[in-house]
Amino acid sequence: MSVICTENLCKSYGSRRGVGDVSLSVEAGEMFGFLGPNGAGKSTTIRMLMGFLKASSGTATILGRDCWAASDLVKEHVGYVAGDVRLYSWLTARKAFQIVGEIRRTDVAEAGLKLAERFQLEVDLPVRKMSRGNRQKVALVLALAHRPRVMILDEPTSGLDPLMQDTLTECLRELAANGSTVFFSSHTLSEVDALCDRVAIVRDGQIVADEHLSTMKHQAPRSAVLTFRSEQAAKAVVVPDFVRLASANAETLVLELVGSAVELTKWAATQAITDIAIGQPNLETLFRGYYNVPMPTAQRLDSDEADFGLSGYPGTELKSVEQL
Amino acid sequence: MKGVLRKIFHEVRWPVLFFSVGLAIIMALLTALLPKVLGDIDKVFEKLPFIKPIITALLGMDPGDGFTAQMMQAFLWVHPTVLSIIWAHELMYCSRMPAAEVDRGSIDFLLGLPISRWRLYLAETIGWLISGATIICVGVSGHLIASSMLQPQMRPGAFAIFCVVANLFAVYLAVGGISFLVSASSDRRGRAIGIMFAILLVSFLLNFLAQFWQPAKQVSFLSVMEYYRPAAVIQSGSFPWFDVGTLCGIAFVAWLSAGIVFRRRSICTV
Repeated sequence: MSVICTENLCKSYGSRRGVGDVSLSVEAGEMFGFLGPNGAGKSTTIRMLMGFLKASSGTATILGRDCWAASDLVKEHVGYVAGDVRLYSWLTARKAFQIVGEIRRTDVAEAGLKLAERFQLEVDLPVRKMSRGNRQKVALVLALAHRPRVMILDEPTSGLDPLMQDTLTECLRELAANGSTVFFSSHTLSEVDALCDRVAIVRDGQIVADEHLSTMKHQAPRSAVLTFRSEQAAKAVVVPDFVRLASANAETLVLELVGSAVELTKWAATQAITDIAIGQPNLETLFRGYYNVPMPTAQRLDSDEADFGLSGYPGTELKSVEQL
Repeated sequence: MKGVLRKIFHEVRWPVLFFSVGLAIIMALLTALLPKVLGDIDKVFEKLPFIKPIITALLGMDPGDGFTAQMMQAFLWVHPTVLSIIWAHELMYCSRMPAAEVDRGSIDFLLGLPISRWRLYLAETIGWLISGATIICVGVSGHLIASSMLQPQMRPGAFAIFCVVANLFAVYLAVGGISFLVSASSDRRGRAIGIMFAILLVSFLLNFLAQFWQPAKQVSFLSVMEYYRPAAVIQSGSFPWFDVGTLCGIAFVAWLSAGIVFRRRSICTV
């Protein structure tokens, strides 16, 4: 049985659609990434899972229980961290352990204090004196303290410094290793890449991809930079169908490899090249491809990620360099 | 629910203390000063005839040609300062859940915990009843302390005071029930308080206008103040069953509706 399951989940705000037809299934022990840009519908989906919003249609269940009708029972096993944590100004972490412990009918103080130490959180500092990052830490500690079977995080790293992001990653890995399920929403691909086993990409309120990261990496394009002996040689090249031309600069061609590297090297061996460099699979390109967002030109040409340009991606007709 | 009650206690203990002490001081001062101020009220009525409808509206009945000492004490219970203190607490308290929680986004923290919305609402209701009872009781104690210094014939009887306090608490319940309903339907605390303030103002004005304007009299049953008549209670010496019953009925229907609205609504803080 899936731990988190949604079927044809929809949420409309009058004539505006927040989420349309979201079907997901997340298993026990899985670290699931929910990826999409701002306004794609990630938070709306999470708020329906948490029972904050009532779905216009479709169903959402956690541990077999309806997220709206049995919301309080569901949340006995759920830890939740909102993206923009807003707490009571008078609240300290220590007081929060007491209040949350009484509501959860379990002592969370001991585990909470240990977590606070890991996150370097002052437990007697009131929220009104805390930075945004520290407020985020309070929410994380409170969500983790009762060792939830399901952890739902809505862009939890905003406000956390890189060291604390690493601590969070560690905690979530430990949780998943003990059989808990992690549902991690983000608009940053790198943190999902570093943490999750499986990723769903949401666009305009709909799931456009739901794959294991390893599968996605196979689908992700790689860059290949070919340096020809001369500019003329580079211009005369007709690119084969397993590569796409990303950019051309004098005697250098940046290609996007959609076939295997073996094919490319075989083909490259027949060309008048002086050098060849093949990059790693790049999820960023794939992710942007789902949104039809081109990589910024400067990034394409100057940075490592520059190699994974999206010119003509996806579905652009191939042309020779001369035609370009 | 204990954890939520603890949170409520943290949040409302100081305001409740301030309102309680404030009301006690105001009621003690009014108890001591009203006989002196209203001693020559007949002469004031002669010079300023428009004052009489105001007093009549506030008392909920025509005081007639003469003001008895006990009738003067009735004025205490309808004094705008007394009502303002009680209602200010009420508007602040009842707009907390869910309007203020949604407004500042902290409801995500509460609803992320394993507690149903009904239980949250019940905890808020318990806090509302206890805080209201505390403020009114402390206020009444101020009145009792001050009235012990008055001549015995100027003090209303204990039963009369009990009846008026019961009537006042029923008003508190009705206003609070409606405030909860407005709050449950709102995402903004300021808006909820504004709407409730307007409702109270209209209610007050309606009760006032009904004294000398027939159209207002025909709809004055819509005003909660129509069911709060301390002067009549003190004069008759009988418990105002109808008024208290009506106010409690309004309170229950509004409170229940607010709970249902809160239970069923989507909470959107982003």
